[in-house]
Amino acid sequence: MSRVPEPEAPPERVPAVDVRGLSKTYRLGRVEIPALRDVSFRIAPGTFAAVTGASGSGKSTLLNLVGGLDTPSAGTIAVRGKALAGLDRDGLSRFRRSGVGMVFQSFNLLPARTAHENVAFPLIFSGVAKAERRDRAAALLEQVGLSGRSRHRPAELSGGEQQRVAIARALVNRPPLILADEPTGNLDSGTAREIVGLLAELNRSRGLTILMVTHEAALAREFAHIVIRLRDGRVEAEERLR
Amino acid sequence: MRFRDHMELSLSNLWKVKLRTLLTTAGVVVGIGAFTAMISFGLGMQKNVAEAFRSLDLLNTVIVFPPGGGPGARPDGRDPAAGGESGAGRERGEPAGQAAAVLDDRALEAIAALPGVETAYPDVSFPALVRLNGREEFRLVQVLPARIAGSKAVRIRTGRPYASDEAAEIIVDGFFLRGVGVKDPASILGARLELVSVSFDPSLLAPAGIVSFLQGGALPLNRETYAFTVVGVSESGAFGPEGVLKELMIPPGAAGKIKSLPFRSIWDVFRLQEGRAGYSALNVRLSSPADAESVKTRIRDMGFSTFALADQFAQIRRGFLFLDMVLAAIGMIAVFVAALGIINTMIMSILERTREIGIMKAVGAGDGDVRSVFVFEASVIGFLGGLFGYGLGWAVSRAINRVVNYFLARQGVPAIDYFAFPWWLFLGALAFAVAVSLAAGLYPARRAARVDPVQALRHD
Repeated sequence: MSRVPEPEAPPERVPAVDVRGLSKTYRLGRVEIPALRDVSFRIAPGTFAAVTGASGSGKSTLLNLVGGLDTPSAGTIAVRGKALAGLDRDGLSRFRRSGVGMVFQSFNLLPARTAHENVAFPLIFSGVAKAERRDRAAALLEQVGLSGRSRHRPAELSGGEQQRVAIARALVNRPPLILADEPTGNLDSGTAREIVGLLAELNRSRGLTILMVTHEAALAREFAHIVIRLRDGRVEAEERLR
Repeated sequence: MRFRDHMELSLSNLWKVKLRTLLTTAGVVVGIGAFTAMISFGLGMQKNVAEAFRSLDLLNTVIVFPPGGGPGARPDGRDPAAGGESGAGRERGEPAGQAAAVLDDRALEAIAALPGVETAYPDVSFPALVRLNGREEFRLVQVLPARIAGSKAVRIRTGRPYASDEAAEIIVDGFFLRGVGVKDPASILGARLELVSVSFDPSLLAPAGIVSFLQGGALPLNRETYAFTVVGVSESGAFGPEGVLKELMIPPGAAGKIKSLPFRSIWDVFRLQEGRAGYSALNVRLSSPADAESVKTRIRDMGFSTFALADQFAQIRRGFLFLDMVLAAIGMIAVFVAALGIINTMIMSILERTREIGIMKAVGAGDGDVRSVFVFEASVIGFLGGLFGYGLGWAVSRAINRVVNYFLARQGVPAIDYFAFPWWLFLGALAFAVAVSLAAGLYPARRAARVDPVQALRHD
């Protein structure tokens, strides 16, 4: 495995994501299933990174670990220089609140709430006042091109629209890092391209670091700066595209 | 998280599952309703008894008996005033080695002069035949000084107390009126009432009289009729030392003119033969119940026995505490069942909302946030349940009160409130409902907080 060279483009020295020797083993009864084995990589701030690989290659596990939803069996993760291993449960939830925004394949919107309410939802846990929640959610919905649909519930929106709502929600706490787990998995190819395009646009305009897991290698190659290929829980290759 | 957001989130979650929320809350409503009604019944009983004691001035009353006398001295040893064997109210003075004190006018004056004593008057009553509106009833007539009849010891409902100790005026009570079938107390005011007393005629004790008695002739007794004017109707009669209700009250001056048997019971006859004069009992009214102990001690020092209902009252209160506890325990069972309903609903809710909990955590909700959302939902159910449960308990007890009073009114029992709802019962019921719901929500909320977000988001 080769060492990742420090990228020149972003000026900051501290990597946005620094993963060292990461392993995760699931236990199913007595059987141990290794999902990740000794994964290491670094992503500089402002990078759009894609993780590709077949189903079961450990992509989603990696994202859950970086997102602080799960804890590794071995190895370390540091986001903007801060080690997640040093955080307790409350620290992890604070990290999920403001350090990272997550986008999922199945959107994970609250079905009983409108697009607007879904986008504003995370702000409730940040203790943001109602008026500001409303303003921020409205601005983000406009930015993802859905201001006309803010009162619709997820069931009344198309897949692409739902994913836009989810992206707006991921941005609402203004995190420096967006983690997208197969964001195009439930979308047709045209819509999929639009969504990845939106993420790339956010990367460009806001300087957001994006770590996107996808099995669509073509889309990854079209938009991402670097592509990390996983195979059986190990980094198979790391490719710098632009 | 802000308090308002908690509230909005919980309310909207509960609103999403309206029927289940409604049913769970209904469980709490019934539980708290039963609890409230039970407690308020206990409180109502207590209040009625306490009020009766207070309104009849029983706590201000000490009854004085001659040494070894009074109802407790009866051969069968029973003490009717104290009710069965609980003679705690009776305390007997033991004059050491001197002649037994006599409850005469001198004793009366000495007792009346004691500090803390408002008035003292002999308990004098006699049986008489009462004639009113052509009906005849046999009643006990209480001789009551005008100043007592005018005090709050006798609550005059209609009319006035008699003008003086000499007036040929009489106060009757509500029980007597119902007994003789008078519906409107005002209609009886000014009516002529005759007392027919039976007196002992010594002249008939001559051998001739006895012979005629033995031959089936008249007893050596006289019947004489005395006319009175009804001036007042009291709420209820005066309680004598034996707890017997005297339904008619006349002033002592007028009573002095009545020739009557000088005794009320057969034991008085024996006492007469022993040559012991004096009253069979004195009623002593205190200026304040606080003086009871000192007055009782002084009277006992004079060699008399005393009986105070205040002592009984303390025992009655202990009894009520026990009754309240039993009633509360019954109410608790209903609340406990409601709590199980809350636990059930909350656990169901967590199973259904696993994905939602996962989303909450993914967007940054901490364990504490998730926990408090569920605890809050449980407490909202508790609060609403407590609020409406109290309302239900109130409504049900109102209804029961009406029904009971309706049926008792037909038997001539005056309407009273069998339930009491002090302000603290409302706050207590509400606090209890919320506390029980919080406790019931704690375990489900802990479970919700422990949900693994990765599993939850995979959940469908």
